[in-house]
Amino acid sequence: MARMKFLCDADRCIECNACVTACKNEHEVPWGINRRRVVTINDGQPGERSVSMACMHCTDAPCAAVCPVNCFFTTADGVVLHSKDLCIGCGYCFYACPFGAPQYPRVGNFGSRGKMDKCTFCAGGPDPANTQANFVQYGTNRLAEGKLPLCAEMCSTKSLLAGDGDIIAKIYKERVAKRGYGSGAWGWKTAYRETIAG
Amino acid sequence: MLVVADPHPTTWAALSERKDNTYLLPICTQFECDGSRTASNRSVQWGQQVVKPIFESKNDYEVMYLLAKKLGFADLMFKNIKVENNQPLAEDLLREINRGGFSTGYSGQSPERLKAHMANQDKFDLVSLRSTKDAPPEIAGDYYGLPWPCWGTPAIRHPGTHQLYNTNLHVKEGGGTFRARFGVERVVKTKVMEDGKEVEKEQRFNLLAEGSFSVGSELKDGYPEFTYGVLKKLGWDKDLTDPERERIEKIGGNNPDNVGWAIDLSGGIIRVALEHGCIPFGNGKARAAAWNLLDPVPVHREPIYTPRPDLVAKYPTYPKAVRFRVPDIGFDVQKAAVDKGIAKQFPLVLTSGRLVEYEGGGEETRSNKWLAELQQDSFIEINPADATERGIKDGQWVWVTGAENSKARVKALVTQRVGKGVTWMPFHFGGWWQGQDQRKNYPAGTDPIVLGESVNSITTYGYDPATGMQEPKAALCQVAAA
Repeated sequence: MARMKFLCDADRCIECNACVTACKNEHEVPWGINRRRVVTINDGQPGERSVSMACMHCTDAPCAAVCPVNCFFTTADGVVLHSKDLCIGCGYCFYACPFGAPQYPRVGNFGSRGKMDKCTFCAGGPDPANTQANFVQYGTNRLAEGKLPLCAEMCSTKSLLAGDGDIIAKIYKERVAKRGYGSGAWGWKTAYRETIAG
Repeated sequence: MLVVADPHPTTWAALSERKDNTYLLPICTQFECDGSRTASNRSVQWGQQVVKPIFESKNDYEVMYLLAKKLGFADLMFKNIKVENNQPLAEDLLREINRGGFSTGYSGQSPERLKAHMANQDKFDLVSLRSTKDAPPEIAGDYYGLPWPCWGTPAIRHPGTHQLYNTNLHVKEGGGTFRARFGVERVVKTKVMEDGKEVEKEQRFNLLAEGSFSVGSELKDGYPEFTYGVLKKLGWDKDLTDPERERIEKIGGNNPDNVGWAIDLSGGIIRVALEHGCIPFGNGKARAAAWNLLDPVPVHREPIYTPRPDLVAKYPTYPKAVRFRVPDIGFDVQKAAVDKGIAKQFPLVLTSGRLVEYEGGGEETRSNKWLAELQQDSFIEINPADATERGIKDGQWVWVTGAENSKARVKALVTQRVGKGVTWMPFHFGGWWQGQDQRKNYPAGTDPIVLGESVNSITTYGYDPATGMQEPKAALCQVAAA
C-alpha cells in the first residue's frame, strides 16, 4: 500500500493561492476556515520564500497522541483523518500540531470552538462513501475515486506534490539533481556567491 | 447617458445616485452563448453554450440586435445574418467577420472549420499545433484554431499561422515575412553645409526586404503589398478567375489597379499571391525607428506629476496639441505642478498593479466568495521608513490623497515590497468613493462581496499620444493615518 505524502517545493511556489482556492471550492470550506494556506516569509525582501501548508498527515501523528476522545485514525494510505462525531472541539490537537493545521469554527460567543476541521488529503471522513452528509462534514472523497488531492492537481508550477511518497520522492530527487544541491543549500549564494548547477 | 453592459455592475454602475439616463444591462457570460473566441496565441476556438442565460440576462448579440432595431437599422446591419426570436445566429456573425476580416487574416476561420477543430482536438500536436498524420481531411495540415492570420477565404484552406514572420515555411504552410506596412521607400531630407552654404540633401532608404523571403516565394526579394496593379505588372492577374476579376473591377471603379488585397472582397488577390508563394501584405523590413510617431525612438520624459521637478526642464512631456478630437494639455499641467510645488505636498510616488486573486476592475472576481476571502480590503503598500515617519502601523486605515486632491480610504500594508518614497495600490477594487461605501447603490443581490476604493480615483491626468493609453502608473500621493 502506498504511503500518501505532501511535498511543497519552496523553490517553485509563486504564492498564487490556487491550492487554497481549489481546496475551498472542492470541499466548500467556509470563510475563516483554512484547510490549506500559503505562508510567505521575508515578504518583499531578498530571499523571500512561499510555502503551501496543510495537515502533513504525520507518521505517529501528535494530534492523535493528545486527543482525549481518540477521534483520530490513520488510513491504510497513511492519511490522518478524524471523526467529527467524536470531536469535542477541545483544541488540544491545535497545540500539538507542528504545522498549525487544525481549524475551528466559532460557534458562539466567548470564543467557544466548534468541531475541528482540517485537510483530509481529499479522502473524506471515517465513512468513505461520497454522500451529502459526509460532504457537509468532511468534503469530497477524491481518493476513493482514484483521484489525488485537488490542491496539488491544480498547482500551476507543480510546486505542491501529493500522492504516493515514493513517487513524490523520485520527482523531487530528479529536480534536485537537475538544479544542483545548491538550490536547497541555504546560504551558498550569499556565502560563496554561487549556486551549484547540475 | 451611461450604459453599463456587463455580467456584473461595475464601479461606474454604483457610483451615481442619479435615477435617470443610467442603464444597467445584465450581459451573459461566454458560457451562456455560442460563438468564436480568439486566444492569446491568435488561435480561434468555437465555444458552445454551456448553460442557458441566467436571470434576466441577454447575450451581447441580442443586445446589439435590439439596440440596432430600436435605432432603426437592424435590417441593414443584420442583412447577412439569420435572426430568430431576436437571437442573431453565432455562425452567421463569424461569417460576417470572415467576409470583412481580410486585412487582419480573420477571414479563413469559418464556423465549419473551427467546429471540425473542436471535434478533433486529439488530432493536433501539442507543441507544433499542427494536425497529426491520422487527422481527417477537413483539418489536414491545419494549425489548431487556425491562428491569425488565416489568409483568404475559408475555401482555399490556409492552415493558419502558428509563428509570425517565419521565412522557413511556405506561406501556404503558415510561413511569412515582415509586413511592408510603411511603403516601399523612405525619403529623408536633411540640411547639410557644403562649401560654406546650407544645402538640402535627400537620402532614400529602401523599406523592402533585401535578400530575405519565405520558402517557395517566386519573388526572391522584398515586395510591396499586393494590389490588382501589382498582379498585372507581374503578369499574375491571368490567374484570377472571371468572377474575382469582375468583383475587383467593380470595387475599383475608375481605378481598379489600386484595389489592394485587404479590400478585395473576392479574396482573389490574396489567393493568387499565396499561389506564387507570396504573402499578400508584402515583404518589408522591420523598423526600429518609428518615424511617424512623436518619439521615433523612445526618449525619457518625466511624468506629468513627477517627484523630480528639477528634471522637467530637461525632460518635459509632449508639447500642447490637439490629437484627433482630444486636447493634450499635459505640458501645462506638468508646468503648473512644478510651479505649485506639488511634489512637496505629495511626496510619495504612487503606482498601481494587479493582484493574483482578482482580474481587471474586479467586479467578477470580488463576487467570488473563495477569491474575495483572500483579499478582503483595498490597500496601499508603503515602505516601513515612510510608514514610521507618518506614524502608520501595518493593517491600519489610512487616507491616500492624490495630487489632484482626490482621496481614498484604504488599509496600509507596511512592506519592503516597495522602496522608500514609493507606494503601490491594486486596481481591482471599486464600490467605495472617497471613503463612502456605495453598496446601497447596487441593485439588490448584485453587489460584490468585497468593495473598496478604486485606485483610478487617485491617479492623475495624462495619456500616451501614440496609443491614447491613460496614465495609471505614475502619480504622486500623500498618505496619512485615518
